[in-house]
Formats: sequence, structure tokens, C-alpha cells
Amino acid sequence: MVEDLLKQRRTLQETMNFMAALSAGMEPVLGRGANSMTMSAGRNLGRKFSAEARHTEDLLEAVDEVRKILLANSCLWGFEPFKPQGQAELITVNDRGQRQMLLVFRDCMIRQSLLRFGHPQKGSLCNMMYGFFAGALETIMGKKATLEIRHAGENACLKVLTVEA
Amino acid sequence: MLEMTINDKACRGCRLCVDICPTECFSFDQQTAKAQVAVAENCIACLSCAFLCPSGAISHRNHHEVKNFYRNIEFSQRMGRFL
Repeated sequence: MVEDLLKQRRTLQETMNFMAALSAGMEPVLGRGANSMTMSAGRNLGRKFSAEARHTEDLLEAVDEVRKILLANSCLWGFEPFKPQGQAELITVNDRGQRQMLLVFRDCMIRQSLLRFGHPQKGSLCNMMYGFFAGALETIMGKKATLEIRHAGENACLKVLTVEA
Repeated sequence: MLEMTINDKACRGCRLCVDICPTECFSFDQQTAKAQVAVAENCIACLSCAFLCPSGAISHRNHHEVKNFYRNIEFSQRMGRFL
């Protein structure tokens, strides 16, 4: 049992290391196009994974649905909503009428693989996660969504989820 | 609950932590010319401040620490040419 888990962990780590090497090699060649490419790939994946998901208009429920999708597909991407002190609600509305929510990502296999080889964060692999959220929320809520990286830290990242009005 | 402390004696007042913190946990005391923890509750434990602090004055306790990927020497050598 323990040996199986360790084997799975090793497989995941080597796959992610390979992905990080691939993205680091792709970025200098494709330039900014690399981000669009991985974002599009992530969006397609998000749409596919969420095809059977429950549809809802409620942002909190939709985010929870994304969490369930990730769990169901054995994706280790733990995230939690974040409300800074002084902010009344988890969900805020910006001046363009878009709903926004802060998300903290802790255990991220992308970050760990990037840091493992000293690749910079906020690159094409991080954009894949943006695409995944955008695709999944588009299917669940029927609205366009973005996941902007506000801060890419060494132990956690802070992202802003924005859903069109 | 997460605890964040700044070692007063070690802080040089460079303000790097104040600038890097995404959730504005720090404030700068003009009188002592040192950084202070203003809102520890806002800390998301990204640990950027602790990594950035030149004098290693910032420490965190009771936070979730992400497990690092292991170092596989053989794999690194194989991948070396691509990195």
C-alpha cells in the first residue's frame, strides 16, 4: 500500500518535472504565444472535466463544483477562498459589475515542479490552471471567467477569480 | 492559528516585506524604522517575505508547508540537457 502510494507520487513528480521542462523549453521559442497555447489547453480540459457537472449561478457553489471535479479526477490542487480583514463578503463586485473572489492555492504540483528546477512562476504552466478554471466555470455558470495571479509565492499563491456580469 | 513574527533586532528596515506581501500584513514604523506585523490574520503563508528578508528576520508558525519535490539525481542528469 505504502509502496503503491510512493510509486504514484514518484510518477506524478517525474511527469510534472517533465511538464516543467517542456514549458520552460517552449516559452523562449513561442514567446507570449506559449501562454495562449497552454491557456487554451487548460480551458478545453476544464470544459471536458466539467461536462457532467451541476450548473449553478451561485459563484461559491460553482467554485465548490470545480473542487469536486478536481477531486474526482485525482488532481491535487488544493485551494480555498480568502477574505482579507476589512472585507465584508467573500464575493465582491468590481466597478464593471463583475463578481470577484480571492483564492489561495497551497498544494500546487505546478509550483513545486517549477521551483524544483528554478523555472519562473506565472508562466505557461500557471496559465494552464487559469484556462482550467475558465473552462470549468464557463460550463458550470455559463459565463466567461478569468483567474488572474495576484501573487505567486514560494509556499502559496493568491489568485483573483473574476466572473463576467 | 498561524503566527508570524519579526525579530526586531534583525530587521534592517529595508521594507522588502512590506512591498512583497500581497495581503498587506506588514506596516512600517517610521519612528523605529522597522517593519511590524500589522494584520497577521491576513497572512496566506506564501512565505515570500521570509524568503526575501535579507536578514531572515521573519518567521512563521502553525502554517501549512507544501512538500517539496524530491531530488532524483539520475532523472536530473537525464533532463539536464533540456533545462
